Amino acid sequence: MTDRDCEWLRAVADELALGILPGQERAEAIAHLDGCHTCREHVEQLTLVADGLLSLVPGSEPPAGFETRVTDKLGLNRPARRRRPRAGVAVAAAAATALGFGFGGWAVGTAIEGASAPSSRSSGPPGSEHGLLAASLLAPDQRPVGRIFAYTGSPGWVYMSVHLGRDGSGSDSQAGDRSGSGFRAEESEAAGSHGVYPEAGEVSCRLERTDGTSVHIGEFSLDDAGRGYWGAPTRVDPDTVSGARLLAADGSVLATAHFDARQNQ
Amino acid sequence: MRRLGPPLGRLSDEALLAGMATGAPEIALAFVRRFQRMVFGIAVAVVDDPQLAEDIAQQTFERAWRHAQVYDSRRGSVKTWLGTITHNLAIDAVRARKATPVSPEDLDALLGIVTRTPEQCALADEAASRIRAAVAGLPREQARAVVMAGIYGMTARQISEFEGIPLGTAKTRIRTAMGKLRTVLGPERADHD
Repeated sequence: MTDRDCEWLRAVADELALGILPGQERAEAIAHLDGCHTCREHVEQLTLVADGLLSLVPGSEPPAGFETRVTDKLGLNRPARRRRPRAGVAVAAAAATALGFGFGGWAVGTAIEGASAPSSRSSGPPGSEHGLLAASLLAPDQRPVGRIFAYTGSPGWVYMSVHLGRDGSGSDSQAGDRSGSGFRAEESEAAGSHGVYPEAGEVSCRLERTDGTSVHIGEFSLDDAGRGYWGAPTRVDPDTVSGARLLAADGSVLATAHFDARQNQ
Repeated sequence: MRRLGPPLGRLSDEALLAGMATGAPEIALAFVRRFQRMVFGIAVAVVDDPQLAEDIAQQTFERAWRHAQVYDSRRGSVKTWLGTITHNLAIDAVRARKATPVSPEDLDALLGIVTRTPEQCALADEAASRIRAAVAGLPREQARAVVMAGIYGMTARQISEFEGIPLGTAKTRIRTAMGKLRTVLGPERADHD
């Protein structure tokens, strides 16, 4: 990291924030931002300006019937939405909880763990959506202890379900399988957990790159059974991302994942 | 259909999005109703084709529905998130279809709209009014450059060709304009309602 690198970044920062920087320069700029907090803050400020510009575009009434067409597309107008009998109750309860108390999206899902997804959600196999990478999280002893999904589109995101407990195989659910799977294990019902996972608590996730480097993308908590669900928006470069590592607070590796089969429709 | 919690129209944007994540149709419909004008407005402004704009708006809600679980309020408001999704989809569509992203007439028309003074338009929030006034206060050529880049997704090279100016001049206009707007917005988050 040199002053010259930062100088170059400042010269292209506006175009980067506006999303108009050509590919190669954009890749170099992003790489620089990964390691330069000062430049990252600068670009974040400019991104707010870019977002602000969009807020000046006037709203416009869509054509008649738009709402219906959207909800049709989402499968919400089908009279028979198949759910397991109790799932509907669970979803409604979760919604009531979330809406009644004004929680953000993170707090919803854990209350409905075990609920099947609305039939409108993607029912394909994990990774069947364009730009979605999926992999099993494996403990050091190669036990499956969860799944991780990384979306390479814009905006990109990472989502994972983890179950380190030794009461069976790790959660292998699809990201969309649990409508609103939660992100804060301490709020979960922890239904069905057996025993206590000794290394539970705060864990962190790093995305691994093909060049051997990695980037920290966030922390979350596991419950006493070593169970948790977490996700965050983050840029996922399909050309460089290779996998992920889940680390305990002391830095030890709890699980690893390798994205080896990018799915494209 | 049974109501959940308070009337949906009074819920925060974040709560509605949380509701989307549960798959409840009533909440999804309320979410679409709340944001459809904004989403369609951005789409139609960028692509200038109502049919394509509707497709983009539908895709936007589909993505919001699919990705509601990973929205993070710390990274910006729901409006901003949704606006960015719409904008990205619209820009991708334009880049795939047109060599020139905007006609001079459309650019002038939009520039007129986004630089209307605060007294002339209903304001969504203070940040929007400040940025609107700031864009209005820019020299015309800088305002054009920043609108072409920020709303139509035109690269500096495209702007230089469109305006008939050197590439360096186009970059300078973008940079100068963005610098001025950033100063006006200050260090505050501009995207929280």
